[in-house]
Amino acid sequence: MIDRDVFHGFLEAIHHLPEMAQPAPLSDDERVSRAKSVMRAKTDRGLALDLEACVHCGYCSEACHFYQGTQDPRYSPSRKLDLLRRVHARESSAFAPLQRLFTPDITVAELQAWQELVYDACTECGRCSMICPMGINIARGVNVMREALFEAGLAPLELMAVAQEQAGRGTVFGVGPAELKRTLDALRAQGIAIPLDEPKADIMLVSTVIDVLLYQDALAATARILNHLGLNWTLRSAGFEAANFGLLSGSETLQKAATKRLVDEALAIGARTVILPECGHAYPALRWEGRLDNGDPLPFEVLAVSEFVGREITSGRLHVTPGEQGRKITYHDACKLARHGGVMDEPRAALKALGMELTETTPTAEKNWCCGGGAGAFLINRAAPLRHKAWEIKRRQIDDTGADTVVVSCASCRLNFMAGAEADQWSTRIDSVVEMVARQLPA
Amino acid sequence: MDLLDWARGPLLTGAIAVFVAGVGWRLFCLWRMPPAHGPGAPARHAFGVIDAVAASLTRMVPRGGFRPSATLVTVNPYLFHVGLAVIFFGYAPHIAFVRRLTGLSWPALPDMVMYLAAALTIVSLLMALLFRLSDAVLKKISSADDWITWTITFLPLITGMALVSEPSAATLAHEQAIYRGPLAIHLLSLELLLVWFPFGKLMHAFLVLPSRMQLATFFGRRGVHS
Ligand code: SF4
Ligand code: SF4
Repeated sequence: MIDRDVFHGFLEAIHHLPEMAQPAPLSDDERVSRAKSVMRAKTDRGLALDLEACVHCGYCSEACHFYQGTQDPRYSPSRKLDLLRRVHARESSAFAPLQRLFTPDITVAELQAWQELVYDACTECGRCSMICPMGINIARGVNVMREALFEAGLAPLELMAVAQEQAGRGTVFGVGPAELKRTLDALRAQGIAIPLDEPKADIMLVSTVIDVLLYQDALAATARILNHLGLNWTLRSAGFEAANFGLLSGSETLQKAATKRLVDEALAIGARTVILPECGHAYPALRWEGRLDNGDPLPFEVLAVSEFVGREITSGRLHVTPGEQGRKITYHDACKLARHGGVMDEPRAALKALGMELTETTPTAEKNWCCGGGAGAFLINRAAPLRHKAWEIKRRQIDDTGADTVVVSCASCRLNFMAGAEADQWSTRIDSVVEMVARQLPA
Repeated sequence: MDLLDWARGPLLTGAIAVFVAGVGWRLFCLWRMPPAHGPGAPARHAFGVIDAVAASLTRMVPRGGFRPSATLVTVNPYLFHVGLAVIFFGYAPHIAFVRRLTGLSWPALPDMVMYLAAALTIVSLLMALLFRLSDAVLKKISSADDWITWTITFLPLITGMALVSEPSAATLAHEQAIYRGPLAIHLLSLELLLVWFPFGKLMHAFLVLPSRMQLATFFGRRGVHS
């Protein structure tokens, strides 16, 4: 059961995040110069191609929930890369000396204005790339913009606060090894065996602050499934946090440090597989972008828990008993897990095995609408009205399926769904893949 | 030497030189940028160059699953892209022009098809301009490049239409061009387009394939159909 008090406490904590941030006192010139140096360093061949290829057709706006929700042309995806485009045009493009005559340099006021565009009004969902006739990866450019703004001390205070906490104390929302242990003890008291800090294990399970505090049932469900399969697994106190606020806030150093904590722990115990919790962005961060210190690919397999569960069911290793007949469910693909991760078939395989009627949203899978809360947007207080507009598209999409339950496999989406549902008095049940599967494990 | 001699001679050579050197330089400058770091993780599905090319080609087909828009109509860009290609490659005098320059030639399309293509392309380009002037998103994201490129693309069409007064066979039968002034203007408008090409968004003709391939590879390795 989700403790609504904890949910509200979590929302309350988010409200106070800005007070905890420690923004660096930088002059305007320093901010511009720091931002530009990140932009310069990050403009590789691929990004330069993306920046030069845009034909200003505007199609990407059709795909963006922030534009569609508001009809405000400021939120056109292509425009989110304008400052990057200008710096590239002036400094590294083929006709840079000529471009400098016509292209004004970027200013601190523009950087400040772009903070809203690339943090509040972009969840880096990648949907715009699906429609762009030139195949431009706007989300990647937006992430570079976030890095530039972070270096310029212009990340939203909420994300800055969490990133600084994760970098400094190694905790997120005050959750560290002690809080993890408290939660595990509570789950063990329910009779669930949860190995912690085993020196060797085949599988390292990773959790996340939201599961430790709020979605403890998801953590318990994962543990029950792993135990049911008789696998040799463990959680590690020194590497249990999947959420990567370096990635979300735009700090590459912190992103690497957060990834390294997980990688080091997995290597230390000789894990062959790392299973990530229901957390969207953690998946591409480790599965697709994670590397060893020397740049080599990770020597272990990285799976999202919904991917793992679906795979086990498909292979016949995991059996589930038929669930409540007549329940009509739909599945929401988290952007980072599906569009940016490729995990689409496995969660569906798991849900289908439960014997309920699974109805797809329109559109679905890699073209699915973002819920509006990803990439840290959920933490930005002032973005709540904008986020809600994006959420309304999602809600309509779910309503149109006629499903009584929407199943998600990302705690961020789940939080955003819960907040949206509370604001709109929306009665559709919000459930999780791993919890549904665990509920139907054979006795 | 009159204007036509200039337009057919040194100015054309100069425009082609700017076009070739400019496009080459622009592509070279992109290529010399540091490469994006290599893919670290093993791909979910093998995704090679052929897959990327195939994905780039299929991206030409409009995708379902997105909202239809009142103004950003999907069909209009197809019209003027196809129209421009048909006019340039299908009209007998244009083929004769290319043959004079390169020795290459191919069968022409009937004049009627050309007139229709030209009319449709002109209407389509005017519609594109109308969208850009009236759609809030397009107004917001348009830059000088968009306006210059539109004008420079439109000029050869208009100056070319002004030349058409007889069937193309009759035009080609003349020993000498009869409307030397207007033909010179038409050629100059083409030369302007060639000169502008490397500097503005017309470059998308060369960037579209690598850019689509890059995205297709990014998603394809992850097992995502883009
Ligand atoms: S990545 Fe998503 S949120 Fe960002 S601009 Fe594209 S469609 Fe909009
Ligand atoms: S759809 Fe692609 S080419 Fe068109 S404006 Fe957006 S980013 Fe540029």
